[in-house]
Amino acid sequence: MTESRPFNRAATILLTIFVIIAVLPILLIVIASFTSEDALIRNGYSYFPQSWSLDAYYYMVKQGITIVRSYAVSFFVTIVGTALSVLLTTMLAYPMSRKSFKYRNVLAFFVFFTMLYNGGIVPSYIMWTKIFHIKNTIWALIIPNYLVTAFNVILVKNYYANSIPDSLVEAAQIDGATEFTIFRKIMLPLAVPTVATISLFTGLCYWNDWTNGLYYIDNEKLYSIQQLLMKIMNNIQALRTNSNAALLGTGAVDLPGTSIRMAMAVIGILPIMLIYPFVQKYLVKGVVVGAVKG
Amino acid sequence: MKKRILAVIMVAAMITGLTACSSSSGETKDGTEADTEDADSGEGSYDQVVYAFSTFNNIPADEDLDTVEEAINEITREKIGVEVTLKPISIADYSSKVSLALQGGEKIDIFQSLGDFNNCVATDMAYDITSLLGSCAPETKKLVGVDWLAACSSDGRVYGIPTYKPIALTPMVIYRQDIADELGIDMSTVNSVEDLTPILEQVKEAYPELTPLAPVQTGQIGLHTCFEDTDYLTDDMFSPIGVLMNGEMTVTDLYSTDEFKAMCDLARNWYNEGLVMKDSATTTSTAAECMSSGNYFGYIAAYSYPEKDTAASLMAQCGGYELGAKMVGDAYLSTSDVNSVSWMVASTTDVPEAAVKFLNLTYTDEAVINLLIYGIEGRDYIKNDDGTVSYPEGEDSTTVPYTAQLSCGTLGNFFEMYPMQGTDPASLDWELEQNKSAKTSSAMGFTFDSGNLKTQYTAVSNVISQYLPGLLCGSLDPETEISKFVGALNDAGYQDILSAKQEQLDAWSAE
Amino acid sequence: MEKAVTIKRKQRKFKELPLLLIALPGILYLIINNYIPMLGIFLAFKDYSFIKGIFGSDWCGFDNFKFLFKTGDAWKMTRNTILYNLAFIVIGTVLAILVAVLICELGKRMRVKIFQAALLLPNMLSWVVIGYIVYAFLNADTGFINNTILKFLKLDPISWYSFTGAWPAILVSVFLWKNLGYQSIIFTASIAGIDKSIYEAAAIDGASKMKQIFYITLPMLKPTVIILTLMSIGRIFYSDFGLFYQVPQNSGALYGVTQTIDTYVYRGLMELNDVGMSAAAGVYQSVIGFVLVLLANKIVRKYDAENALF
Repeated sequence: MTESRPFNRAATILLTIFVIIAVLPILLIVIASFTSEDALIRNGYSYFPQSWSLDAYYYMVKQGITIVRSYAVSFFVTIVGTALSVLLTTMLAYPMSRKSFKYRNVLAFFVFFTMLYNGGIVPSYIMWTKIFHIKNTIWALIIPNYLVTAFNVILVKNYYANSIPDSLVEAAQIDGATEFTIFRKIMLPLAVPTVATISLFTGLCYWNDWTNGLYYIDNEKLYSIQQLLMKIMNNIQALRTNSNAALLGTGAVDLPGTSIRMAMAVIGILPIMLIYPFVQKYLVKGVVVGAVKG
Repeated sequence: MKKRILAVIMVAAMITGLTACSSSSGETKDGTEADTEDADSGEGSYDQVVYAFSTFNNIPADEDLDTVEEAINEITREKIGVEVTLKPISIADYSSKVSLALQGGEKIDIFQSLGDFNNCVATDMAYDITSLLGSCAPETKKLVGVDWLAACSSDGRVYGIPTYKPIALTPMVIYRQDIADELGIDMSTVNSVEDLTPILEQVKEAYPELTPLAPVQTGQIGLHTCFEDTDYLTDDMFSPIGVLMNGEMTVTDLYSTDEFKAMCDLARNWYNEGLVMKDSATTTSTAAECMSSGNYFGYIAAYSYPEKDTAASLMAQCGGYELGAKMVGDAYLSTSDVNSVSWMVASTTDVPEAAVKFLNLTYTDEAVINLLIYGIEGRDYIKNDDGTVSYPEGEDSTTVPYTAQLSCGTLGNFFEMYPMQGTDPASLDWELEQNKSAKTSSAMGFTFDSGNLKTQYTAVSNVISQYLPGLLCGSLDPETEISKFVGALNDAGYQDILSAKQEQLDAWSAE
Repeated sequence: MEKAVTIKRKQRKFKELPLLLIALPGILYLIINNYIPMLGIFLAFKDYSFIKGIFGSDWCGFDNFKFLFKTGDAWKMTRNTILYNLAFIVIGTVLAILVAVLICELGKRMRVKIFQAALLLPNMLSWVVIGYIVYAFLNADTGFINNTILKFLKLDPISWYSFTGAWPAILVSVFLWKNLGYQSIIFTASIAGIDKSIYEAAAIDGASKMKQIFYITLPMLKPTVIILTLMSIGRIFYSDFGLFYQVPQNSGALYGVTQTIDTYVYRGLMELNDVGMSAAAGVYQSVIGFVLVLLANKIVRKYDAENALF
């Protein structure tokens, strides 16, 4: 694209404003996680807290190995899930984009319809646990729900249909390439921007997901980081509210409150903040390499 | 052509690859599920029972769970010919996980109704254990008593066994003893929430930077618990729909009563005078958090322990300030207090007798109960000379391999559990006495079947959550809002529920 | 002659096969993951019983649907759901395109990566945590706005959680805050896919930057916008539960502007926990979305067949 200096400057300024708006509230969370519980309740959240504290993080460190293990689970699930998902998604989207393909509209409707209605958790749960026996396996975190989503398929299909000229495919066909070769050698490499997009979406989705874990995982060894955080948070909440309803006996419990929730939010996004710049580059390359290896 | 074949093979390989993943992973099941499988095939001659309980503690690792299971099984094999699989589920997910598991045909034989008694019965989740109680759990039947079992019944059939523990809730004000002492406040003169007003004012005056009253949790400043002699007729305590008051048997619309108006006026007055946290209706902080901050004088909530014990047990979570507790009402028992945590046998079970027999042990066998709650002696806890227990040296509830200590009020018989160090064993007697002497609703044992009124219930619940928290926290003006509230309730089909309640109640008392 | 036709037909059929095979794994997955569980639609018409199971439970006709309409709020929550979704679609799309255009203008500079990453961050927070952040700003006593900004401006504190007028704006802003970065990525990718030579040619012809954006970039984004909008229309009866429940802290005073179909269902079924009724709500939301999307698709098809969904 051609350069234009004043335009660039304006774009930078505008984007900087957007970024500040996006980041300031997150900074508030990070600071709140280092604020002492007292100060939080007395003065509310503040960018300049009166007293700092590491209590929330001590509490998390006490969970020790559990957190490390959950990070590992989350990374594995995110990487494998995203790779599989990208492969399946692009494979499904490519035929839909071909104007000569007779069933493209049927297929498009078939895919789109999954966005409109889902049968709810009960039938899915029965199917995945009774027929596929994925309960309490790592696959329970990967396979249900996210491998192929209509949204991603349509994004890729749309990209193919609009950005890649038919003539390219026709030329390849004349050269005697099979459909699969065309897909592998031409279409996948050409889809890099959109593959990067859906990788990012799918990756975020796997990283942030805790519902699969909630339904299909009982074993804490297979808890993803989000599920673990969710569990800690919910248990604290349940303890605090139920102690009033006298569900509990006279066991003294000393739990950190608000600051720990903030610390957990930070722990949940920290790895992404750290590795995002690398992933941004690597994802694109990795996907292409993986696809070529087939 | 060759290439095309290759493509086909590749796709096929991918698909089989995928399924291979799922099937091979199916073999590497974790302990619990493997046990369940064993259970299906009926290992040995023992009936297999899966006991799903909610835990507030960490979920123990399989190996640690297994040792506790084995220790329990040693007892149960001999006594009742049953082997048990423990299935601890963290409290936050409990209801949804159990309900999913049962729908998915997984083996769970025993579960808890956490506040959902009516719902469990209405959806056929619970097994009718009326006849089994006499044959398989006579001791428990005697211990819990007819009245309490009636509270876990519907249409004369018993569906659950209530947890045996101190359940008579007494509304109390928990307050900062140090501040009270300093200002020379005599809390013994406080016998009702109305009596609290001058004290809150006095605190406010002496410490303008303090907010005298903290909320209990979002939308509640504790006044819910202070309606005298009121039976919510099995509705949730936070959204009562049609109540019995003053021992009468007429279903009353709580929100049109003078008592309700008076309570809202009180809240409004506190709100306007700045005696209560302004954001109570929407706050994200709970009472314990507020108290820890040192910014509040006290809060109102209902507890089931003696004043002293309650105050002592709350100190740690309230920031270590010296606390006092004063009752501001009488203990009161109604059906929902009893059946809010009850043990049920799943309707899908294939071993109902064995399940009830095991439940019986969780109410009567000291060894089984304490294994469930504290785990293995020496590893998970140690016994002190005075009969109390504590965690081993250098360990706490988060580091021991197994403990369900925080669930002590939800598992079987609380009175058979070893007391934790720091509690006064004598208060158990007080609590037992409270259970017996508390004022009991005249409709004790009545359970309301809301099955045909689901439509109205959904609409009414929405209206209540719109108005009730604001009214009882003082942020809504009762003068104008109560009439709006009642109007909206009536539009939502409130009267249908009231009359259905009355009808069922009449039928019940005629029996 | 006849023979030739059949051969040709056979060939054509065979021609579709490789493409179908490529799509097959995805199709199988969708059948298993999405279509088989759709059998759960039965639940919406059943009085669920644990003993009898999904198929064995008694039929109850449309009873499970009644609760959606037998309320004075039926109109209000439907209106809220639709209006918010429309606002999200329109404002969200415009701003996301703006961000995408700006990012693409800056090219591959290091700061672009930082911008993009930073804009994406809010998307990683759960609604519960976002609820806390919003509360930190709006809380009556200690909130950032009342305590710092309004104090500084010497204005009276506002009780935000009962101030209905502000919430439509607050909810839309919070939604944008969380989702803008995410949405703009789609458009960034689309712009990245535009043939660079088009711009070069335009620049040689003397087209200004603004002209290039308006006459090249935006028209090229049209298909993406149409597709995204069509997809949003399909879900127009759904709402992001967390946004409408957690962010206003379930404040009763705000129901007039925060109640959507999802929050109504949640609040109503919290205690009942009824499988059939929640299934019914899902069916209702989908059916409406389905009808609307068919209509919208038809309109698109009429004017711009290329870009219709199906």
